[in-house]
Amino acid sequence: MHSSTSNFDFQRPIPALPWRSLLLTTLLLTALGTLGWEIWARAHGYVPSLNDTPDLWADWREKVRPDSIVIIGDSRAIFDMDLNELEKGLGQRPIQLAMPGSCAYPVLENLANDPTFHGTILCSIVPGMWMAPPPAPPYLNGLKGLNRYHKRTLSQRAGHHIGMFLEKRLAFLNEEDLTLSQLLLRISVPNRANSYLPPALPPYFSTMDADRRTWMADACAQPGPLQDRVKFGWLPLFTPPPFPDYTPKEVLEGMARMVEARFGQTADAVKKIHERGGKIVFIRFPNSGELQKLEDLGTPRAGIWTRLMQETGAPNIYYSDHPELIFDCPEWSHLSAPDSVEFTKRLVPYLQQALGK
Amino acid sequence: MLFNSLTFVVFFALVMGGYWTLRSWNARKNLLLVASYVFYGAWNPPFALLLFATTALDFWLGARIAAAPAGSRKAWLVASVTANLSMLGFFKYGNFLLENTKWLLAQAGVTYAPPHLDLFLPIGISFYTFHSLSYTLDVYRGTTQPTRSLRDFLLAVSFFPQLVAGPIVRAADFLPQCDAPPTPLKNRLQWGLFLMSLGLFQKVVLADTLLAPIADNVFGHPSPVLTLDAWMGVFAFSGQIFCDFSGYSTCAIGAALCLGFHLKDNFLFPFAAVGFSDFWKRWHISLSTFLRDYLYIPLGGNRVGAIRASVNLLIVMFLGGLWHGAAWTYVVWGLFHGLCLVVEHFFRLMTKGAAWKETLPVQLALCLVTYLFVCIAWVFFRATDFPSAAMLLGAMAGQIPVGQAILSGREILQVALVIHILWIAQWRLRHTTLEAAIARQPVWLVGAAWTLMLGAIILTQGSGNAFIYFQF
Repeated sequence: MHSSTSNFDFQRPIPALPWRSLLLTTLLLTALGTLGWEIWARAHGYVPSLNDTPDLWADWREKVRPDSIVIIGDSRAIFDMDLNELEKGLGQRPIQLAMPGSCAYPVLENLANDPTFHGTILCSIVPGMWMAPPPAPPYLNGLKGLNRYHKRTLSQRAGHHIGMFLEKRLAFLNEEDLTLSQLLLRISVPNRANSYLPPALPPYFSTMDADRRTWMADACAQPGPLQDRVKFGWLPLFTPPPFPDYTPKEVLEGMARMVEARFGQTADAVKKIHERGGKIVFIRFPNSGELQKLEDLGTPRAGIWTRLMQETGAPNIYYSDHPELIFDCPEWSHLSAPDSVEFTKRLVPYLQQALGK
Repeated sequence: MLFNSLTFVVFFALVMGGYWTLRSWNARKNLLLVASYVFYGAWNPPFALLLFATTALDFWLGARIAAAPAGSRKAWLVASVTANLSMLGFFKYGNFLLENTKWLLAQAGVTYAPPHLDLFLPIGISFYTFHSLSYTLDVYRGTTQPTRSLRDFLLAVSFFPQLVAGPIVRAADFLPQCDAPPTPLKNRLQWGLFLMSLGLFQKVVLADTLLAPIADNVFGHPSPVLTLDAWMGVFAFSGQIFCDFSGYSTCAIGAALCLGFHLKDNFLFPFAAVGFSDFWKRWHISLSTFLRDYLYIPLGGNRVGAIRASVNLLIVMFLGGLWHGAAWTYVVWGLFHGLCLVVEHFFRLMTKGAAWKETLPVQLALCLVTYLFVCIAWVFFRATDFPSAAMLLGAMAGQIPVGQAILSGREILQVALVIHILWIAQWRLRHTTLEAAIARQPVWLVGAAWTLMLGAIILTQGSGNAFIYFQF
């Protein structure tokens, strides 16, 4: 068939090397290197586990039905609540939408603005995180899953399923600890004096199931170097950052306004859910040790928690009000795997009471 | 679908398997066409319809241009240019135009509150519009004959390796390759796979892992930073955007080669550019040659006197800046390059024939100066608005005494190392090609480098971002 002009005679040159054997050798060496890396990872305590990606979160957000029970909040809601026990106690398996290191307000707002939703929300509150204004990292973390839920492409869905297939089988596919960017963080180079650097996140210490139920690793539940690294990793994260030498006044004022507005925004969201017949319970989960002292000092109960509960009027459970809910967190912030099951068993009656069941 | 995604790995393996299994050339092209539309539709299926409609329109207009008598050919061309640029303008510049109209009217005391058009920008619209437009322009100029095959033209515009982020492949360079199946070429597949590995390494390891977080930190910091941090952030962005965009082009060239198609280079070691005109012969070559052939030369090029040629340059770079995005910061980036090109033009006139210019120390110094000015221009390209750009430029100039040190020692070292390696490697390769350079290396070294690149890509675990140029 006649086509266009045929004056295009450009051909890319190919370097004169034995490419066939080069390709085979490269593939073989890469496969061996990957295998070695997998063996190293398993020998160092890593096991195949799903990564808690925005795609996985979006999968579960899509599964929310009008009458679902939904868990939102921070990592304590993921580690400390056992979905099996909640299912037994509440008659329905909850959907886990809490996100580590996040302010869950954007998720609450999303559910409140979903006209079909009239279910139940179990919401974990860590006051410092709940009040995080944009663009603070906890707030942005809270948006990650939502953004993916709203804008997910077919290609991303397919990639997510292929990724899960591999993550279930390979221990080195661990986003928290074993990516190249995480490995680079292990290189120790002195910093300049007075550097304004964000604190490092604690290392990997958990595994996650397909329903986002997260279990603390045994190595972290027992005293040892991993537990210490996690413990002392929390302290700088929960210490308010020092104000830098110079921050534009309008930036500071804007942030203060946003923090103040969060009380009203939360109350509005709760009101919308109540008006549709939905329910919400706020929960303060256990913490321990130095982290407990730090949180109590920085965000005392009489401050943010009390005002939030007053303004929303929603039922709430503060763990320290109930002696049977006081547990020791091995790394100061979350419960060990067995304790999380026991804690949930003891929490269920309070939830039933709060929900009028 | 991103090149740096697991979905693409599976997609490409399936397409390759099917393509080389099929015996009929027509069946192979049909497969590529379907695959290209699946590749594009995987973002947002309705946009595939838009792509089809604009391509089919240009196919029809190309035939009309060729068949029309001399007097009315121009009208058909104007129809094509208007249709293409209107679509681009609507999706990409609609809100920008409304906002600027509002501002202009406000200056005249008129209050106008335009509605915000809630538009999704079709991925890669700037690229495929130019792919398609090049066809009617070339048919009009008589440098190419119209194709009778709608399928071939649809494939030329939508060919998935170059569809969404270039290189801008002109139909005249692609359509002849559709005439017959690719001739056998030894090691084409392996070399194509090597190029794809190199491109992915540039993108996910160098750009996304080593440089992007640092650039994002500096450009996104709400308050002033120290001079060192400001420069490191800008250097990091210069490396990031090169590795990101050049990485995409290299992947595209490699993927096309695996399928038997030959795409031209889009980058030729731009860090080694000596002067801005040299820079634009090395950076995004398919765009700079497009603008040169279809805009600069028709405006009169440099045949119309120094002053008029300078104005032409500024017009071209103004539009080149605007092509990158609907914001005045992109326009300033383009005009900054335009001004540098004009200054360089006069500098060359004044120093014509001077032998000292060609000595190694002077060439090196000019290369460094070019790089620094290119970096300054990147501030406007990357900054979200003018106040942010001004704050960063102030910090780079040491004019802000209260800046913060926001980069760690490791990050500073990381940027310094990567940029030095990029700069030295490109300087050494400036008079050659990648192919020639690789052919000179011992086999073991190429194998080791390839293995390391693949290993590093696996280590990143697919956590990379979208390519920067997708948004254009």
